[in-house]
Amino acid sequence: MTRRWGYAAMVALLVGVHFVLRISLGLGESAPDLLTVALLLAARRLRPSVGAALGLVLGVLRDSLGVGSFGADALAMTVIGWLGGRSRDWFEGGTPPFIGVYLTLGVWAHHILRTILGGVPVDSSIIGALVIGPIVGALYAAAAGVAAFLAYTSFAAPSR
Amino acid sequence: MAGPYGAGRENRRDLWVSGFILAGAITLYALPTRYQTPLRDFVRSTVLRPVFAFQGDIARERGERAALGDVRAQRDSLFAVSAAQWGLAQENRDLRGLLGLRERTPADFVAAELIPMADLGVESTFLVTVGSADGVAPGAAVISPSGLVGVLRDVAERRSQGIDWSHPEFRAGAMTSDGDSYGIVEARRGRFREEDALALVGTPFHNDIPAGTRVVTSGRGGVFPRGIPLGLVEGIEEADTGWRKTYLVRPAVRMQAVVHVLVTRSDAEGALLRDYSAIWAVPAPPDTVTPPDSAQAGSR
Repeated sequence: MTRRWGYAAMVALLVGVHFVLRISLGLGESAPDLLTVALLLAARRLRPSVGAALGLVLGVLRDSLGVGSFGADALAMTVIGWLGGRSRDWFEGGTPPFIGVYLTLGVWAHHILRTILGGVPVDSSIIGALVIGPIVGALYAAAAGVAAFLAYTSFAAPSR
Repeated sequence: MAGPYGAGRENRRDLWVSGFILAGAITLYALPTRYQTPLRDFVRSTVLRPVFAFQGDIARERGERAALGDVRAQRDSLFAVSAAQWGLAQENRDLRGLLGLRERTPADFVAAELIPMADLGVESTFLVTVGSADGVAPGAAVISPSGLVGVLRDVAERRSQGIDWSHPEFRAGAMTSDGDSYGIVEARRGRFREEDALALVGTPFHNDIPAGTRVVTSGRGGVFPRGIPLGLVEGIEEADTGWRKTYLVRPAVRMQAVVHVLVTRSDAEGALLRDYSAIWAVPAPPDTVTPPDSAQAGSR
């Protein structure tokens, strides 16, 4: 029970840090996408429906910051949350390399979904918009997520 | 394959619940803007309130800690903008006095601090530390000492959010400073944000605009006052089958450097009809087309 609350606290902390870094401090993409990382880490321990619901809530939060299309991130995060919950059935594992690959693919998939739902015109430049920069961003976010996961496991280990 | 949370009926129930949640997300996505806006405002004023409050504190702190020289330079430039307005205001008062018209609101702008927003989906947007309580409204122009920054979209009581010139939805009626060519300025996204630029589209094909020509707002379209610098022409982007040309424009304002701005007040009567070229020493010829509003303004 304590470990579950500890994990929830880590996820909540990641959400809070995301908004502080990206919005309050105005760091933008210099800071990793910890919101999607938080969803992906949480979804691994939740039912798919609960993961989708968490994705919807976090997506609405991010959508509320913008002035353009509302609901695009909510929809993208809902799908990613559901897939994250389902991923337990498809892939077993909790090692840092596995978490790293999982987070990289998850953050990248979210970026692709979000970009397409955001109404970006499909032309020759979309490949660059969906591949090069987003993969680097996904690796960056995954590294931050693995670091948070390792910090959590080292913190939670004595309570076993 | 059974999941770790159970099989059969529980899985089916979970799938149904997931379907409902997905349907909710799709509904939210498809909602008309007029229904989305109240929800957005509600989330901003409740869950995200601490984030914005902290952001405001950080902005104030940043403003106080900014290099004194930079702050002085920006303050002096803004003062120059305000001082130049004084001359126009005085002239306006004299002319109105001669014509026997009533006094208008003296100040067109209110000073504010700008905080750039940067997250997925909110790129090219910013917050300013003024709102409806300060006399600004959606559609207000945001300017810096270098030129046009952007336009406000959402206005709360003490805070507003706008889009800058690099936003895909940004448009401004524009002209060359000599008044030879008119067109529309829109954003061009570069491979990197530092490469973002503007494009002057829809200019007449028979007019050649040399590189280095200054582009300013034309005052047409009813959004931006006339004479605010947008940038300098860099070269031709495309010529569309003999009908019109598009030119790349190097923006006058680099968003990374903007901290202090002026926002046009909605209660400043006739602000959209004024010509601000003199403030930036931009030579601009008289407009040859009378905006429909000016006829009404003149009849007051």
